[in-house]
Amino acid sequence: MRLILFDVPCAKRSNFYPLSLSRPIWELRCGISTLGEKLIAKATDVACFVPGYMADSYRAKTNIKVNDAGTLADQDLLLVDTRIKASSFNVENSGPSEVGLTEDGECLYARITKDDLAKLKKDSIEVLLNSAKEKLPTTRCDLATWNYTWELVLENPHQITKDFAALGRNGIEGEVEEPKAIRGSAKDVYVAPGVLVHPMVVIDAANGPVYIDEGAEIHPFTRIEGPCYIGKKSILLGAKCREGNSIGPVCRIGGEVEESIIQGHSNKYHDGFLGHAYVGEWVNLGALTTNSDLKNDYSNVSVTLDGRRPIDTGSTKVGSLIGDHTKTSIGVLFNTGSYVGAMALIMATGKPLPKFIPSFAWFLEGVTTKGFGKSKLYGTAKIAMSRRKLQWTEAEEAMWDAIFELTSPARDEAIRRGRRLMLKK
Amino acid sequence: MDKSEIQERVIKVVCQVLNTDKDMVEPSSNFVFDLGAESTQSVQLVAAFEEEFGIEMEGEAALSVQTVGEAADFVAKYVK
Repeated sequence: MRLILFDVPCAKRSNFYPLSLSRPIWELRCGISTLGEKLIAKATDVACFVPGYMADSYRAKTNIKVNDAGTLADQDLLLVDTRIKASSFNVENSGPSEVGLTEDGECLYARITKDDLAKLKKDSIEVLLNSAKEKLPTTRCDLATWNYTWELVLENPHQITKDFAALGRNGIEGEVEEPKAIRGSAKDVYVAPGVLVHPMVVIDAANGPVYIDEGAEIHPFTRIEGPCYIGKKSILLGAKCREGNSIGPVCRIGGEVEESIIQGHSNKYHDGFLGHAYVGEWVNLGALTTNSDLKNDYSNVSVTLDGRRPIDTGSTKVGSLIGDHTKTSIGVLFNTGSYVGAMALIMATGKPLPKFIPSFAWFLEGVTTKGFGKSKLYGTAKIAMSRRKLQWTEAEEAMWDAIFELTSPARDEAIRRGRRLMLKK
Repeated sequence: MDKSEIQERVIKVVCQVLNTDKDMVEPSSNFVFDLGAESTQSVQLVAAFEEEFGIEMEGEAALSVQTVGEAADFVAKYVK
């Protein structure tokens, strides 16, 4: 049986923007691993389908075959929409063909035998799914799905605890220098090989496990409160790392961070509060950049994903969603439930910013502008990646060009509004 | 729109964005060295010219303009 992960263009993809603009949804983190890693845990033969514009870029970052129509033949297949929560996915690998549909008729999974596969159209993943819906037995599917990015953030503390138990690792394999302070049970702490924990670090596992992955470095006066995951080669610089954080690889983290997910390769070196946020890759948050994650009247937080229509998150705690390659100046203040697009450059205004900042925006003097254009932003991205020994490739640039076009309606509208405001000032 | 009207409106926008008096602005005035424009203000100037004249300019070329007179010439290429 071959497992096919799919994340194809549909209206619900944008529920995961700005993070899913530049990666398939299954690359988003929740707990210790990504959604995809949880789904493929038991599979050996895996392939995937992503939106066409990101295929070349993603191909360079993964070992599995990407958008290869050849993987849709010659095998029994289990095709899985990666918005399905791995914990709820109970469909058997083998059995007769079956297509699981939501009440709206969306295909969440399709199990297709090799014999039935021969009868279906397979020009693309979309064609195959439609053909399977038409010709194979369907069943009503109530599997739990992820619907918005903030759900990952809200579930993160619980998921870290579950992932820690599933991995079954504990103990100190790296170096923890004296004097050390570990609260709670030693079985709830794992310090991987190559980790260096400096003196005067508090690891508090009294309320949840702490997993510090290979090559991470924890500087003095950092306090890590479980449940928490610190990714490979990340550095914590005297951080107040409160409960529920998943910090991906190669991040630099200081200040106060609470119940947040940071995808990887991002910097928040300095003081400033980040709470209930999801931060993409290659983000740099300037000193004292802070987000609100709770409204003063304790009402539900709303998030505007498209620049127009606020969505009630149903939660009183939601911070910022920050896309890849976005940079903030010192002192930026993000409002509760802010949407901050990818490749944006943001300067402080001294007060909380608008709750929607489009991708590729140069947010200057309180308004969205075209700024110095995308080539300047690409130049900065190139430098940031080279500092971590990674290359900005042609495939990467082509993907970002496509994202620039994809996100232009909301940005153009914000720029027009910005011009009017500028002349009124 | 004739050249003098464009120049007059360009100067009006420059005064508004850079918060300076009309007497201080001449066609030969350099945005950075004579009028003290910061890099972020050059972005604001481009946006303000676009709003004033209802045009869309090519961003990088617009930002390479150095003087008020050059700005008027640049805007003139877009104004019908």
